[in-house]
Amino acid sequence: MEAFFITVCLFLLLNICLGLVRVWRGPTVADRLLTTQLFGTTGMAVLIILAGYLGELTLLNVAITFNVLAILLVICLVQVWKSGAKGGEA
Amino acid sequence: MSVWIDSLLAVLAVFLAVRCLLAPTLPQCVFLFFAFGLALALAWARLGAVDVAIAEAAIAAGFLGVLLIDALRDFAAPRTHGETAQKPHFLTQVLLGAGLVVFLYVALEAVWNVPDGGGLTALAADNLPRSGVDHPVTAVLLNYRSYDTWLEVGVVLMALLALFATGGKELFRRPVVGAVDPLLRQVILFFTPVLFLVGAFLLYLGKTEPGGAFQAAVLWGAAGILLHLGGWPVFAAMPRWTRQVLLTAGFGFFLLLGFIFMSGGSALFEYPVAYAGVLILIVETLAALSIAAALTAIFAYFNGMKAASVENEIPDPS
Repeated sequence: MEAFFITVCLFLLLNICLGLVRVWRGPTVADRLLTTQLFGTTGMAVLIILAGYLGELTLLNVAITFNVLAILLVICLVQVWKSGAKGGEA
Repeated sequence: MSVWIDSLLAVLAVFLAVRCLLAPTLPQCVFLFFAFGLALALAWARLGAVDVAIAEAAIAAGFLGVLLIDALRDFAAPRTHGETAQKPHFLTQVLLGAGLVVFLYVALEAVWNVPDGGGLTALAADNLPRSGVDHPVTAVLLNYRSYDTWLEVGVVLMALLALFATGGKELFRRPVVGAVDPLLRQVILFFTPVLFLVGAFLLYLGKTEPGGAFQAAVLWGAAGILLHLGGWPVFAAMPRWTRQVLLTAGFGFFLLLGFIFMSGGSALFEYPVAYAGVLILIVETLAALSIAAALTAIFAYFNGMKAASVENEIPDPS
């Protein structure tokens, strides 16, 4: 069982490492933001796996915090950049 | 086996930090910083410091992320190269380097020499029943070392005051966005209560488990920022006195409590054992409200500042 937890955890962490390629190369800010969302989801998965592995259920609270705040970045990007475009046109 | 996870996390965190510092463009730098925050939060979780992990997740992924994205837009417009490409000052570099070396030395000195018997850990654990809470971190933050926490609440207020001082307060009055997209409206209507509830949950959880005022404050502040982005500038819409009371409630009540019990003969910020639990909860709630209001105001200020500058300047041809 321990080997299972660690394998899954390592797989998810390597996924994050692969996502870094998009952060580095991503031509637009939106591409990079989507990778950040991927990081948030993958990070949550790692935290949940760790909570099971270490037997520490309070780690789930960290996952919840990540989860509810993930939406904020997307809305901020959409709203801030949209209102900026309007200001530029005016 | 689990050493693989730890070494991967350690390498990832350092690699991301270096990459973030050396990134050639601003968007790369900002988004690498988010990834760095995630790696750091995972590392804290792996180290067993769940309090710090929650704070890192909330502040780095939430508040700082929003501020950085907002700032990124200000720098996205191409500008003349003359003002930014300034030659670094030699004396400043030397002083900064020397300061960093001294800081590193002090930090190493503090971490390297662990006192015999684990320092104050045993003392903190022994006094836990008298502190009014069951979680040692909350006990340290809000009972043993309340003075530090009180000043931390003050630091947030101070940051806001500095913003008021440099930019004036009138920027808060302008409405932000006009018509709200129905999808955005639904998302905001759904997430505002969720953020508020999760914040309240973390605040109350701080009594027994990792969580507490600062984490809750970021979540409540996130609710305020979300409403602001959706075109309901909650902070700006409040009457002036409400804003003032909201911003100073945490700091003021903390101080008042300290002085009231000091007049009764105890030390500053020493709570009577019988009421300690209730008092800590009230202090935490008010502090969280104040910090949340301050975070919302800081974001509203930066957002409004840009809107004002866009209107005043000649618009870019692009």
